[in-house]
Amino acid sequence: MTLTIALAKGRTAAQVLPLLSATGINCTALQEKNRRLLFTDDPDFHFVLVKAPDVLTYLNRGTVDIGIVGSDILEEQGHQQFDMLDLRTGRCRFILASTPDFDPHQTNRKRIATKYPHIAQRYFQDQGEDVEMIKIEGSVELAPLTGMADAIVDITETGTTLRENHLKAFATLTPVSTHLVVNRLALKQKKPTIYQLIQALQRVRPQEV
Amino acid sequence: MSNRHLPVGTRDEFGPRAIRKENLIQIMSRHFIDAGFDRVKTPLLEYRDVFQPLTVTGEQPYQMLDDAGETVVMRPDLTLPLARLLSTTNIQPPVHWWYVGDIFRVRKSLSGTYNQITQAGIELIGYASLKAEWACLSEAIRICDDLKVADLTLELSDARFVPQVLQTLALDPVTKAALKKAFFTKNLSDYERLTEPLAANALYPFLKQWPWLFGPAESVFEQLKQLLPPAFVREQVARLQTTVDFLRDQFSNLTVTLDLTSQPPQSYYTGIFFHAYVPNRREYLFSGGRYDRLMASFQRDLLPAVGLAFDVDALTDTVQEPTASPQTFVYGLPSQWQETAAVVATSPNARLCLVDSLAEAQVLAKSSHARLIDLSPKEATL
Repeated sequence: MTLTIALAKGRTAAQVLPLLSATGINCTALQEKNRRLLFTDDPDFHFVLVKAPDVLTYLNRGTVDIGIVGSDILEEQGHQQFDMLDLRTGRCRFILASTPDFDPHQTNRKRIATKYPHIAQRYFQDQGEDVEMIKIEGSVELAPLTGMADAIVDITETGTTLRENHLKAFATLTPVSTHLVVNRLALKQKKPTIYQLIQALQRVRPQEV
Repeated sequence: MSNRHLPVGTRDEFGPRAIRKENLIQIMSRHFIDAGFDRVKTPLLEYRDVFQPLTVTGEQPYQMLDDAGETVVMRPDLTLPLARLLSTTNIQPPVHWWYVGDIFRVRKSLSGTYNQITQAGIELIGYASLKAEWACLSEAIRICDDLKVADLTLELSDARFVPQVLQTLALDPVTKAALKKAFFTKNLSDYERLTEPLAANALYPFLKQWPWLFGPAESVFEQLKQLLPPAFVREQVARLQTTVDFLRDQFSNLTVTLDLTSQPPQSYYTGIFFHAYVPNRREYLFSGGRYDRLMASFQRDLLPAVGLAFDVDALTDTVQEPTASPQTFVYGLPSQWQETAAVVATSPNARLCLVDSLAEAQVLAKSSHARLIDLSPKEATL
């Protein structure tokens, strides 16, 4: 029974492929640097390489059985599939950051720039605060530097980009890592294969920190 | 330009698929009528409060204001309006109702999904007997048989199973709620973390296997026997076993599975619930179950109820396309109107060719890749 897996391209794929290889899946073709997007050489595991935000679209439509993507995307987009396993790779965290003179207790309604408006909105709702959200597609660090926003909600792994842009983290929101998500009906239709894959991944994924 | 575009999530229906869908609806209607169900039809528009018990995560109804400023919605569900109807009239249960109609749910935009979905279903309200579940299931399976749906799998669950297991666990309410959420979303990482402190509990071996307790009925029953004390959740297991036995007896080709990890579709489900699917398609063909709390929000005494709904669109995309007869055009002179109409009526996939000359008829037939039956007298065509 073939399992079709949508894998987020780029860093997620690079960090997950060694895990998949360790479970015995032949990932040689996926590891080659080329522009191929569809990998059907292995009769048991087919892969599609897609942009991270598209993983859930493929999964929700049932085009693929499994999606492997960052929990940032899962939280931001929301979904009804089974978020079954934290693969413990691609670990980073959401932070609230700004220039050092930012006052988190300022009385004015804050303007927050982010690529993740839903996650940011939920954070400020939990804080009991209403803020103005500005959706930015990239280089979010620029927003407080240019005065367009008071602060940003973004992902950081080591904090290097923040430091290089003279920004400071004021709060940590939620941790982020790569997850394995399964289409609800595919889990029933392909239970033995998915069970085996998950058991194998549980054995080879990094230890919890 | 908006007069040339459809709103997101809608579509026109035409051609072979539309014909197939219409045929399916006719076959289903005939089944329901023959089984003694009465047709019931409720309005497309209802007050929003009718659907207050409905939880459909991530989907919203289309809503608007009526002339009194009340919020009305295009129905996102067909069962709750029937509960509203029964609770506000003197109709005496038990009732055997069937319906067909469209529901509307605003789903994630530009995701390739449609917001208008056709459902056809039945409701048996007023029966507490397990026979009501069996009657619903039998109708649905017979319809699938009639439509030659291959490799149908019927999955049975029980809405009371998960709450009963959770009830026995010595956990504080917050942890229990977190465990329930992790369990229903199959978040194994959280589930394992939350169940680890229960390692000394007699149910721990069961808890470790529980998220995977779904699959062929025999194997799930066997696992239950090995993992649970004999008296535990005996009533639910017995009802499931009796139902599996009934289905095996009635429908020998049917694959029956159990899922004791499933979340009931709505909070008003109270007993057995079920879904049916085929391999390689990611939609359920029909779903339903027992919902004895259906009337709870309509200020009326609770009534036992069982129902199911077909996703007619999913079914339409699943059933095999019948081999269509080639398109036929029938051409005749105005004086031959009756004769021409009679040929159309007796020829498969035929229609009148409404042009003024045989030459035009030939051009039209050629461009449409259709067969042409020419009934005009030879001398008239010269």
